[in-house]
Amino acid sequence: MRIEARNLDKHFRNVHAVKELSFTVEPGRVTGFLGPNGSGKSTTMRLMLGLDNGGGETLFDGKKLSSHLPVTRTIGAHLDAKFFHPKRTAYSHLRMLGAEAGISKARVHEVLKLVGLESVAKKRPGGFSLGMGQRLGLAGAILADPQVLMLDEPANGLDPQSIQWLRDFLKHYASTGKSVLVSSHLLSEMELLADDVVVIARGNLIAAESMPAFLSRATGSAVVARSPQSDKLSEVLSAQGIASTSDGARTIVIPGQTTDRIGEIAFTNGIALSELSPRTASLEQVFLELTESGQEYRLGETS
Amino acid sequence: MISNLIYEWRRLWSVRASWIMTFVYLVITGLLGAGPLFLGDPQSNGLNVQTWKGLYSTNANFLCLVMLSVVASQFFGHEYRYGTIRLTLTEFPRRERVLLAKTLVLAAYVTISTFLGWAVLGVVGFMAPEGSIGTEGPGLNINGGEASELWQVLVFGFAYCIVAMSLTMITRNLALGIVLPLLVFAVIENLIVLFSGLANGKMDWIVDVLPFTNGTAWLTHLPDSPNAGLIFTAWVLALYLIGSAMFFKRDA
Repeated sequence: MRIEARNLDKHFRNVHAVKELSFTVEPGRVTGFLGPNGSGKSTTMRLMLGLDNGGGETLFDGKKLSSHLPVTRTIGAHLDAKFFHPKRTAYSHLRMLGAEAGISKARVHEVLKLVGLESVAKKRPGGFSLGMGQRLGLAGAILADPQVLMLDEPANGLDPQSIQWLRDFLKHYASTGKSVLVSSHLLSEMELLADDVVVIARGNLIAAESMPAFLSRATGSAVVARSPQSDKLSEVLSAQGIASTSDGARTIVIPGQTTDRIGEIAFTNGIALSELSPRTASLEQVFLELTESGQEYRLGETS
Repeated sequence: MISNLIYEWRRLWSVRASWIMTFVYLVITGLLGAGPLFLGDPQSNGLNVQTWKGLYSTNANFLCLVMLSVVASQFFGHEYRYGTIRLTLTEFPRRERVLLAKTLVLAAYVTISTFLGWAVLGVVGFMAPEGSIGTEGPGLNINGGEASELWQVLVFGFAYCIVAMSLTMITRNLALGIVLPLLVFAVIENLIVLFSGLANGKMDWIVDVLPFTNGTAWLTHLPDSPNAGLIFTAWVLALYLIGSAMFFKRDA
């Protein structure tokens, strides 16, 4: 199911929290939703779900969410790890959430088992850890096997094994043709998980594109070449107006170039290469470059 | 709409607080009903003080209603307190249906509780000393005045719970939804009536429009308050409409 957010806009008194945001979430792909603290990610998700009143609209395969019945077969949302009554058992919580789609008791048990909460199904979740709360929230979101999953910081509080499980689960979920929109601060995790990214800062859209396209925006993208004739390679490149810097013995770094181009130049000039590889900027690097000016709550300098 | 109702029904009964408050409501109803029968003089000037009708109007007392209002406030109070309103409204984006489902399930809850209260009062009456329940006259309403009709007890209980639920919608605060109606019913209105008596009739117009003073006047058939039922209804509807408007308009 394709999600199309159109001109989402939200004011909180004097704060313009979300500014005319438009983007799409494609089926069969995991879309990462990134932005600094206070950038408006959660507000945007609430607007998309119709929980907050604001401008714009969100269409699910061209129709409003309320037109898709049962809604829980269309979308499953997990917005906070603490959205449950602390005295309502995990099982009862899911039974309640399953009312709209007529979810069976067997399915509730199946989902509890899937997220690893079967042994505490009859326990009241008031004493659950953050990670267990996340699992319960995720269980609620996937209960009716919806076409769209919308998850706000689902990896917070999860241990490394659970994060890996979540990554595999979401990738598999998207691979069946469903749409996944997931926000996270764990950029290294998002780099492994997301196929596309939507980046916002101070309520403004910074980027909405595929992960490789986003990473290529980094000013730090470069090619690393190792050669016994590294000095000669530098000279040849320089003669063609291509700058390079030495990066240790027999290794040079050539910014802003592709491996294809450097390989071709080396071959033409009879220079042997023992390594030729792209040095792509990390998601964190690109994210920081693009959102630096859009950070709502700035940190002080470390000494 | 059926799924909305199932959702609300499960939401209501899947927390222990609902069961506990209902149990406490039944216990208080039984104790209040039993008090005059077991502790009082069964006859005064040769007339029975209490009748079956009077006994069955016991659960219109505010002590009983407070217990029901705790559950009524939880319809929205728990949702906002624990953030589950966002799960509810994601699952059911049409807020008017959510409100209607909550109102209908509340009505069902009040009806069931009231009937259970009458069952308890029936047992109390059956166990009461011989001659303590007469068949002549209207009997005593525990709020003072004549015993109410049974349907009035049910309607008054529901109206009180609607007030509690509406105040919770407006304030988004569970405690205020419970305390405000109780405070107004049991304390503030009595103080206003008291001051009115001291003000040589200058404050009578205020007394004439007080919600629960009119509610109990309607409940106990006070002859000098012909519009009491209308005024009480207007208060209940006004609060419900304000609460609904805020529920529709504000962010979840």
